[in-house]
Amino acid sequence: MTIEHQSTESGSMLHRLNPSLKLAGLIIITTGILIYPSWRFSGLLLLLTILGFKVSNVPLHVSKKRIHFLMAFSALLFIFQVLMTANGTILLFIIPKHDLMGPFLPVTDFGIEKGFQMSLRFLLVVFSSMLFVSVTDPTLLAHSLTRLKIPYRYSFALVIALRFLPLFDMENKTVRIAQRSRGISISVQGMSRILRTIRYTFFPLLVSALSRVDALSLSMDGRGFGHSRTRTYLRKSCWTALDSAVLVLLSTLLLASILLTLGFLPQISAII
Amino acid sequence: MLEVHDVSFSYDNEKLILDSVNLQIRRGEITVITGPTGSGKSTLALALAGFIPRVIEGAFTGSLLIDGENVEKYLISEIARKVALVQQDPESQISTLLVSDEVAFGPENYSVAPSEIQKRVEVFLNAVKSSHLANRPTYALSGGEKQRVTIASMLAGKPDFLLLDEPSASLDPKGIQQLQKVLLGFKNSGYGILCIEHRLATILPVADRVLRLSKGKISRWSGKTSSAKTTPVEHFRRPDSAEPLLIAKGVSYSYGTISAVRDVTLSVYPGEIVALMGDNGSGKSTLVNLLAGLLHSTDGITYIDGVPSIEMAAQDVAARVAVVFQNPNHQIFERTVQREQYLIFDVLDSLDEAPSERPEEVLLAAGLANLKERNPFSLSHGQKRRLNVSSVTVHEPLVYLFDEPFIGQDEIGRNFITQTIRKRGESGGAAILVTHDSSVATSLCNRIIFMERGSVLLDGPPKIVLDRLGEIGYGEYADLGVMS
Repeated sequence: MTIEHQSTESGSMLHRLNPSLKLAGLIIITTGILIYPSWRFSGLLLLLTILGFKVSNVPLHVSKKRIHFLMAFSALLFIFQVLMTANGTILLFIIPKHDLMGPFLPVTDFGIEKGFQMSLRFLLVVFSSMLFVSVTDPTLLAHSLTRLKIPYRYSFALVIALRFLPLFDMENKTVRIAQRSRGISISVQGMSRILRTIRYTFFPLLVSALSRVDALSLSMDGRGFGHSRTRTYLRKSCWTALDSAVLVLLSTLLLASILLTLGFLPQISAII
Repeated sequence: MLEVHDVSFSYDNEKLILDSVNLQIRRGEITVITGPTGSGKSTLALALAGFIPRVIEGAFTGSLLIDGENVEKYLISEIARKVALVQQDPESQISTLLVSDEVAFGPENYSVAPSEIQKRVEVFLNAVKSSHLANRPTYALSGGEKQRVTIASMLAGKPDFLLLDEPSASLDPKGIQQLQKVLLGFKNSGYGILCIEHRLATILPVADRVLRLSKGKISRWSGKTSSAKTTPVEHFRRPDSAEPLLIAKGVSYSYGTISAVRDVTLSVYPGEIVALMGDNGSGKSTLVNLLAGLLHSTDGITYIDGVPSIEMAAQDVAARVAVVFQNPNHQIFERTVQREQYLIFDVLDSLDEAPSERPEEVLLAAGLANLKERNPFSLSHGQKRRLNVSSVTVHEPLVYLFDEPFIGQDEIGRNFITQTIRKRGESGGAAILVTHDSSVATSLCNRIIFMERGSVLLDGPPKIVLDRLGEIGYGEYADLGVMS
């Protein structure tokens, strides 16, 4: 998560949606692809998510390295699934038969399907979460969750988490620079070096995070956080007709994925 | 009046941090408390704000009184309505993403009506000269802006007493002057103000009384300033044959679309101790990272000891350059002070060749020799900073690059760091020191590089640069240059 990813301003239609509804949308999408793990279904939702980035003017290229990493990781998931799944119709072998040796590592149609399933599901969960964070104002999210009778102590945990994301991102970069300044290079050769790399990265980050938690806790206590069971809000979230329409769409999506899972929509499941 | 009576406190039931302290903070008065690192100043502020013993555990005796009433039975949220504490690091105290949300946070917790909250947001942002920041994201503020927003957010709860722990620590001279004006305004409005400060000069002009806390006891401040040299260093003469240790040629660097360093060209020669100065956000820290080969410039090239830094491995850079960052926690990696001190020899694969006396000598000079088996993260802020300095200089690299090393340092810490830098210059190396303190620049350095919006504005001997700064509208750098 980069600083540029976070938004506190209302701009596009997605920005203006009720924050609780956006959270519900994220949960529904994640649940939908978990209970109905079709790669076409995941791909369709991924396309819609990417369209969401476009509609809300949230640049998807802000952190090119990170996007590259995500794409590479998703490709790795695909390859892993293809190689590890032996079921299905064999299309080819990675290592063909040679004399008396082989063939090895069959690639099956089911393996390819499973590969797409996993990699698209991974990309969808990550990108939809990024989009949610980008278009959701944490303070308004806290207010809208409070209206759903969730105690504000819990809803503010989300606000705090979102507030500190950019800070920890910056701290991570600073620790990496500090490591280089001491001549420490990231090494994964051997267990002891892996453990040392982890220790040299997480110790400074953890200590820094804990000291910030202490300071933040005092700062919040010192401003009456938790003084009473309710609190007022300067800025409030609201519910509009557009929210109702999107709620209907999301409910339909959830219902459809349940029905597809139960096999009640065979004609549609043949397509997606 | 806010007062503590006969207050004693120990975090571990053994070492007494506060020892029968009595103190009164009156409305309409600015009281300043100074004292060495670890003397209990921040602990006293926590006791005055009621966090000790309600939130922070330890052995506490004594009483806290507000307007003559003992508040022993009060909850912290009730005391917070009267007493507000602004801690050292404003970044860690901000809990929301929008400035107006941050100022509204306190009143919202006390269920103040939204219309009244809106008024308070406007009034208190205006009081700290930050009305223009109302709709800005908190993570995009500068250090000084965060400091002022934090003060506004504490005051929005309408307390009577304001406690500030090292409010000027990371402010540039402009920010300090703004802070002085803000505090004077609050004092005239009837607030009782307590400031904890190491850099006394930054707050003395507006202080009504100054106290000293040492070994848990409060006394009147004697008025003596540091024994550190304040006489200007002699003009540095560069040997004709000397090759520069650091070179930057047309170096630029951007964070995304924000340009931090623009077309900087400079050389640093053996024997030079350079003060790198400029307002917050002028690109000093980024330039330090570029010169140390830790960031790769988007344009231009940097050389360390004649070698392009982009071609150097991390170990080669560490062997030649010592860097100290602003936050000491970011560059502590080992489990004991001793291991931290020997880390560089391990990294350079020269543990066997490590001189046997040198690491111990440096630890002794840093005042850490008796803490060798301690976990570095359990040290005080000042001790951690001294460990940073000792562990990155123990192998005597050619160049020292220290980013605001004196923040939060008492006289002992300042002397250790000053001596470390001075010795490097005298023994044929060079040092660059990021500082806002012009007295450090004149007493320790033989050159000032002053940056403005990512570029070098002035570069030359300290006196000439400071005089010129006065002429071009940066007079506050000379006015505030008194070492406390």
